[in-house]
Amino acid sequence: MPADPLIAPLAPATTGTLAHQSVDPVAGVTATPELDSLEESDSERWIQVGGSILLDSEQAVGEALAPILASGQPKLVLLFCSPSHDLSLAAALVADQIGAAGLIGCSTAGELAPDRSIGGGIAIWALGGAGFSVSTGLGQGSASGLRQAASDAAHCLDGLQRRAHTVLVLLADGLCGDQMEVVRGAYDVAGVDVPLVGGCAGDDMAMQATQQIFGRRVHTNAVVAAAISSDAPLGIGVSHCWEPLGEPMLVTSSDGTSVSTLEDRPALDVYLDAFDAPDEVRSDPELFASWATTRPLGIRRRDRIEIRYVSGADFQSRKLLTIAEVPQGGLAFLMQGDEHSVLEATHMACQMACEGLQGAPLKGMLLFDCVARRSVLRDERISEEIKRINAVRGDLPVGGFYTYGEIARTKGAGGFHNQTLVALALA
Amino acid sequence: MSEVPWSLHLLSEVLAAFSVDDPHALRNVINRVAEAVDAEVVAILREGKISHCIGLSATEQPLLIAHALDHPASLRLRSGLLYTYWAPMGEGALLVVGRLREPFNLEERSLLRAMGRSIQLSAQVLQALTAEREAKDAALLQATHDAMTGLPSRSLVLDRLEAILSRSNPGDRVATVLFVDIDRFKQINDVHGHASGDQFLIAVANVLRRVVRSGDLVGRLSGDEFVVITSTAMHQDAEALAARIIEQVSRPLLLAGKLVSHSPSIGIAFALAGDTAETVIENADMAMYRAKDRGRGCYACYDPMMRLDAQHRAAIEADLRRGVRQGEIRPYLQPIVTLPDRRLIGFEALARWQHPLRGLLAPSEFIGVAEDTGLIIEIDTLILKDACAIIGGWRLHHPEQHLQLSVNVSGRTFADPSLPDHVARALQSSGMEADSLYIEITETMLVEDIEATIQVVERLKQLGVRLAIDDFGTGYSSLLYLKRFPVGILKIDRSFIDGLGVDREDEVIVKAVIGVARALDIELVAEGVETERQLEMLVELGCDCVQGYLFGRPCDAEAAEALLNRQATLAKAG
Repeated sequence: MPADPLIAPLAPATTGTLAHQSVDPVAGVTATPELDSLEESDSERWIQVGGSILLDSEQAVGEALAPILASGQPKLVLLFCSPSHDLSLAAALVADQIGAAGLIGCSTAGELAPDRSIGGGIAIWALGGAGFSVSTGLGQGSASGLRQAASDAAHCLDGLQRRAHTVLVLLADGLCGDQMEVVRGAYDVAGVDVPLVGGCAGDDMAMQATQQIFGRRVHTNAVVAAAISSDAPLGIGVSHCWEPLGEPMLVTSSDGTSVSTLEDRPALDVYLDAFDAPDEVRSDPELFASWATTRPLGIRRRDRIEIRYVSGADFQSRKLLTIAEVPQGGLAFLMQGDEHSVLEATHMACQMACEGLQGAPLKGMLLFDCVARRSVLRDERISEEIKRINAVRGDLPVGGFYTYGEIARTKGAGGFHNQTLVALALA
Repeated sequence: MSEVPWSLHLLSEVLAAFSVDDPHALRNVINRVAEAVDAEVVAILREGKISHCIGLSATEQPLLIAHALDHPASLRLRSGLLYTYWAPMGEGALLVVGRLREPFNLEERSLLRAMGRSIQLSAQVLQALTAEREAKDAALLQATHDAMTGLPSRSLVLDRLEAILSRSNPGDRVATVLFVDIDRFKQINDVHGHASGDQFLIAVANVLRRVVRSGDLVGRLSGDEFVVITSTAMHQDAEALAARIIEQVSRPLLLAGKLVSHSPSIGIAFALAGDTAETVIENADMAMYRAKDRGRGCYACYDPMMRLDAQHRAAIEADLRRGVRQGEIRPYLQPIVTLPDRRLIGFEALARWQHPLRGLLAPSEFIGVAEDTGLIIEIDTLILKDACAIIGGWRLHHPEQHLQLSVNVSGRTFADPSLPDHVARALQSSGMEADSLYIEITETMLVEDIEATIQVVERLKQLGVRLAIDDFGTGYSSLLYLKRFPVGILKIDRSFIDGLGVDREDEVIVKAVIGVARALDIELVAEGVETERQLEMLVELGCDCVQGYLFGRPCDAEAAEALLNRQATLAKAG
């Protein structure tokens, strides 16, 4: 499934808001003397990624941060950290070493570090150089939703020194409310001019609670954001390569992320029967959740199908539970995929992102890869995904994490995805 | 996917976003419109203004308003060319949808046109449904909540308590009711006005909300009666809560520029198996009366004996009302004589109940109930009228006697603004001179309720009626009010008289009081004189007048007149 890359020239926004950091040595808005002393030309930009699977948090942060610090003083650091680590400690360790750089991050369901896909580790993605401007934001939500939190976080755009190309990176609590609301809330502020990318924090598939990092602080039920503005083009690629299993069905009853009936039949029964679910899956919630990982729903859109991850089921009321809205009245597909389609989507998303650079040389990529895609590949073939990524990026730095949902708004006003790979390429 | 028709289900998706439970329904609807056709911009224009918009910043939105009449097919934005479609919604409103790079095709325009009108109609239906729901909610709120304080009213309190009682399991925490009544609340209304009284009740409601735990229920039953429903593991928990409420509610409040301090009395009842909500609240109410009996600002826990007491009091109350109606409450008169000549100069009128079955009843048998029920005002004014009529009547037969009359009134009667009217009518109908009448009160009543009584005192003063201060020496004994108010008599308390010849301190006190009375030119009456020894000492100390069993018990009018006749006879003989 293709998605349009979007390169958006921007003008400065005007409104102000809460909890934001801005780092720009050229504008000198909140720049530190250390940053001011860097002698960088306007065209200089760099991206660096580090990773570690060391169990000790201090050692892991040290190992993952080493290649970044070797590249210079970063302006933005994204910390993707397995919940097996103490995120507060990891954030503090990173913050201690990156000076005035903006720091956001989240807990994960696996990490993408250079040349490898890891679990239980730490991946750190960073950019620097005079050709980037950065600001970061935080929005604290509640159990009832994240729309306002996403708007609050997106207001970091207000303090950003705008260059030719801007993107807003969002990291949200993937277990809080309807994730469509994150895109809608951020879009309320970013508007048509600024594309959105990002992912929902994970918790190593425990599906209990995720965490978001803003500076040294760790939050839950929150959205953190980083606005990146660059002199050079940015490209976004989105692809999932899932295929419909049969004809679409009318969503005859749903309420947000709870799907009651499909074609006026209990949604859970329709789903189990269509996929010919084994007996043990039909009564055990944990087995069901694991089994459903590779059997998403698809929502019919104008020229594509958007994927909705089935996160669980209510066996009493026979409802399917998703982590993003399945609108009543819409058309839903049962979707299927295999290792080949997952790998194909990887290649396609990375390729699309790089094409969005309009010929400018790629400096690095940031990936938001659904954890369900990893489940399809399983450990023995996960390395093939890395090979596909490497085929596009060459030996340039790439990093990211395995998510509970992906964000990519490149056209229209929507842009929440599941079981999809979202790639942000930076020149 | 071209074989799958897409437009109708998109319309269905958009309209499904309308929900009376969602205060942001219209905002979500325009999000869905945008997502349905991959539009970057969606706005609703009404009467030249934008009511909802996504995709455009505040600085770009005026562009839509500027083209609200000419409806161009595209607009130039910084991001590129925005192809637009302007769908009429009805009543002059427009649904404006914009997409970058790609114009809307025929099917999309048809869909957006249908969406525009459907959204308007759905919004109107939603508005009507919301208004209907709000009206229902308001009606329900009005029916179940007290409008002034916003607290649940009696019916809701009973419903909630009933629900709690039905859920209670043996061994669980016990449902507990605290019945909170403000002591002397009527005086706030009388003295400061009803607006201040309302403010006070609102303040009490707020205090109760603040003091209780989050799961507790605070309600207002009526007037100054509040209730707290909580659950407690031990009786001490409820007592601690009651103490906290008393401490908080008793803090002075600024009402109409004046600091007002009033305490609550609290009755506590614990639900027992099989109790109904009504029963538990009744029990708490009874306990509250027990708390009042203990003094102001107290609490008491219910025990079953209280119900028997309450039934007894209810029977007395009904009987007393009947007795008042049938004229069974009558003034009895106790003589007051001067010293040292032992000449009868007047009487103190005291209430007695001539009960048809129980005989003559002393005040201790019925005054408590009369005060609790408010009957005391009726009884006091009745005694005043009848006693004045008796004394006034004797003037015809004994014109040479200038008899004085003291009439006891309760605190409630004295604070009643209509007391001076009753006094004026009693004087007028009886023909008594105003300077012969003394309204007898305790010094505590005068000083403690000074704000409540100041106007009454001023009007009595204008009538020429003076005050007799009963039980002088036992209360505040402020000399200031003796000068400030029209006090004509000080009555020295019987407890000091009892000590004469026995307790040196009592003697000193009596002497001091006599000194005060002389200095201020106020007549002094010693009460409770029962022995010749006491009398002798009072003569020695220079006391003006005495009353007590030594000179006669309170008696009916006939017996009192006999005393008067005897004195007249002796005077003639002398």
